[in-house]
Order: sequence, then structure tokens, then C-alpha cells
Amino acid sequence: MGPPGKRDEDWFTRVYAADYGQVQRYGQRRLADIEAAAELAQEVFVIAWRRRREVPDRSLPWLYGVARRLLANEWRARRGTPDVLPMTDANLLQKPGVSGADATVGVADLQAALFTLADLDQEILRLVGWEELTVSEAAQVLGCTRTTAAVRLHRARRRLNDAMSYRSGSPAQQPVLASPRKAM
Amino acid sequence: MFGEQRTRALLKPIDPARHSTIAPPRLSAHDLINRAEAIAEPVAPRRQARPTRRLVLTAGTLAVAVGAVAIAQTFGPNGPDTSQIASPPGADPGVVLVPVAYGSGAGAAGSQLRALASRLATTEYDNRTGRYMYHHTKTWGDPVMTSADGRHHVAFADDTKVWQAVDGTGQQVTVQLEPQYPDQESRNYWQRNLKPKAAASATHAPDSFPLPPMDLAPLPSGRAQLNDLLKVRFGAGAVSNEVSMVYGRYVVPRQTRAEILRVLAEVPGFLWRGEVTDRAGRKGVAITFDDRDNNAQSLLIFDPNTGELLAHERLTLSPVRISSYQVILDTAWTDRLN
Repeated sequence: MGPPGKRDEDWFTRVYAADYGQVQRYGQRRLADIEAAAELAQEVFVIAWRRRREVPDRSLPWLYGVARRLLANEWRARRGTPDVLPMTDANLLQKPGVSGADATVGVADLQAALFTLADLDQEILRLVGWEELTVSEAAQVLGCTRTTAAVRLHRARRRLNDAMSYRSGSPAQQPVLASPRKAM
Repeated sequence: MFGEQRTRALLKPIDPARHSTIAPPRLSAHDLINRAEAIAEPVAPRRQARPTRRLVLTAGTLAVAVGAVAIAQTFGPNGPDTSQIASPPGADPGVVLVPVAYGSGAGAAGSQLRALASRLATTEYDNRTGRYMYHHTKTWGDPVMTSADGRHHVAFADDTKVWQAVDGTGQQVTVQLEPQYPDQESRNYWQRNLKPKAAASATHAPDSFPLPPMDLAPLPSGRAQLNDLLKVRFGAGAVSNEVSMVYGRYVVPRQTRAEILRVLAEVPGFLWRGEVTDRAGRKGVAITFDDRDNNAQSLLIFDPNTGELLAHERLTLSPVRISSYQVILDTAWTDRLN
């Protein structure tokens, strides 16, 4: 990460045009409410402007990191009356039409298995699988080393596979997953 | 690499946003800038800067930590070396972790914790201020990699320095250290199966990145708020984790350190273990909590004079084996990154 270049309105306009859609998708993947995802994306870019000197040239992981922290703040603040539900709490699988083309047993099982994982396991899988970050970039979002992220990804994939196997073998039971030892 | 492509191939079909059409943002870049400029950014009260000598001591502290990683055994190629002092990280990527030693006699920790709280001395940062809270920690156990049969474990130790302002921004620098093992069988297994590149120690460049903003709630000092923050209602295991989190994130003033000890004194289950030596070779006093239901033990080591948390460790009880540790090597207020 080198020193930032000129951080004027032109720079911001380029970053906003290039990354807004990705940041909104980040929100859509974690929130049940598209409006909330749009608000989240706007707030991320408000912060990006205010902190423009700190934004790395490869800005997306940093923007995702801001979004992740905003979501955590929001979730903490609204725990009492959660009108912005994380996807895992939104019972998405039971909404008619949501599964759409995915209405196959395998995909539904995969979704359900993913939602049973601990948050850190889900997040590393989402960052790599959906946001298409490299392991190094995902490490930046999560605030850990590349090796730690690689091990987390490996472990999360195995737990996802275990959860899938367990579900297909015994659908009435939920997989028993080890809790993360420590969240940094 | 690292299964990135396979992960994408697996998860793409369930990506909730894969077919979504992103509507244009409601605000243009120019309007967003105006909004950002119009709404004042929340400004946390800035502590008045004073010079700190604490950071000057960091190198010395680290040298002590590196040179005296006590209570670990290293094994050379010809058999076990029973030395109680490990090699410096990187010299031998084969440290087998041994639990911190303490005496067998133990009683309820409440009275000892209250006594400690009543006689706390100030520490250097109690009289300092600065823009950033600085923490230098060494951690192991997050995450642990386990063999397919579930029997063999390995994790890399991390050396992390964090400078964080009260608005969450700052810098984090993490250096991956050597792999460490909870038992000899795991060491044998992983030294056969860990890729040489991954196992090579002390060769990794530091991972350094800026911290995005976040709401870092002020550290409370009152009993009720501390009870809530430390999750007292969930019992001693949860409290142990939260105390470790607090000391790894905040610069804890003396009054709050004392109050935390008094909170711990009221939580059922903690046993006083007396004087111990932590993995950095420092003398401390320890308390433990045995969580039999989860086959786990939490151990907290405090400075006997200042009441600062020096280390937090988790073990499995059967077999007795390290699950994770955090050693807090330095804490300070500072105005500068690095």
C-alpha cells in the first residue's frame, strides 16, 4: 500500500462509480432489507470521503471493512429492536420466491448449512465466495494475517462440508459446530 | 490458491446478490461530499498529548518476551530438550506448549482479588495521555488448524501491534510467528504434513493496514456498566474472555482495574492460584475457572502490583492441553503510529 495519490473530488467520483455497486451488494448479502443496504453503502462512502487520506489505492477491502464495522455498530445499537435483520435471522429460506431458481435440495441445503456456521466462518466464506476477494484482501477486512485468513477459510470450508453432510444424512438434526476459540 | 476458486464455485449459486440490479445511488458523488461536509463527523474528546516514554520501552519489553518465552519446551532433532526457556521465535518452528504451572492448593479467589484491588499501584500509562491506545500482544490459537481425524492441532503465533483512536481508526501491524503445537503428537504430525513454506517461521513480512472507523464505546468505570460489559450474567467463562478483550482493546485506568478485580471477586467459580510466571517470563498472580460442562479452563494472570492483565489462556481439561493464549506485552497512550 503506497502513499495515497491526489484525493480530490475527481478521485472520489471515480471510486464511488467503481465501487458503489459492490459495496451495496455487500450490504444486500448481509441484510434482509435492500433499502438498508443502500443506506449502508452511502454511509460507507461518506466515511470514505472524510477519511480519504487513509483509503488505500486498492479501496474495496477497506470499504468492506468500513461496512463490516458499520454493520456491527448498527447491530449492537439495535439489538433491542432489530428492524434491520442480518440475513441469517431473516428466515430467508421460508420466503416464497426468494429461493427462485435455487429451489433445489442441494442449494437449499447449502444455504441452510452456511447459516449454521459461526459468524467468522460465514464471513470468510462470503468475502471469498461472494465478494471474490483474495485471501489477503479478506484478511485485511477481518483484521488478521493472510495465514490466519487462509486457515479460517480452510476450516470454514470443512465445517460447511460437515454441516452439509450432517444435514443430508440426518435432516432433523442440526450440525454441532465448534465455537470459535476467540474473535479478535 | 487457498481454495479461493473452489469456494467461489461452491457459493456463487447461493449468492443473494448474484441477480440483483443495483439502482443508481440516490446521491451523486458531489452530493455525498456535500453531505459528508455538512454533517460534522462525531469527534471523540481528544486527550491532550504528552510525550510518552512507554513506547521507548517497547523494544526492551519485546526483547524480554522473545528471549524468555518461559514455560515452553522445544524439541531438537535428537529428542526432547527439557529446558524451560524456549528458543527465540523462529529459531525452532516446533514449540510444544505447556500449560502455565501453578500450585495445587487453591481456594475461592474473592478475598484475594478484593485485597489486590485495594492496594493497586499506578502504572506508567496512568499518568500519560495520547491520541492512540497502543497494544502489543502475542496470541496463539485463533484459528487452530486440525487434522482430518481431529487429533492433531497447530496454530501460528501472531505478534500484533495496534494503534487505535477512540473513533476506531489507526493502524494494525501483525507479524506471523512460528507454528506452535498443543502436544508432541500434533507436532510430529504437522511437521510431516505442514507445507514447508507455511511452516517456515519468522520469514513473513508484517501485515500492516489502516483500521477503518468504528464506534469504540468508552470504557465504563461503574460497577453496573462493567457487569454488563464483562457479561457477568453468563458466568466466569464469559467474564474471562471479556476481561481479556477489554485489556486487549482499552488502556484501563487504575480505578477501573480495581473495579474489574472487584467484579471478578463476585463471580462464582474463580479459584486463586497464587504466583505464576507467564509466557513472557513475567511474575504474576493467577485465577482459574474450570468449566466442566465444556471441558475447558480459563486462566487469567494479573500484575501483582498494578492489577493489569498480563495474560489470558484457555485449556481443555481432559486431556490438559492449551487451546489459546493471549499475552499482553505492552500498553500505552501515544500520539504517533509506529
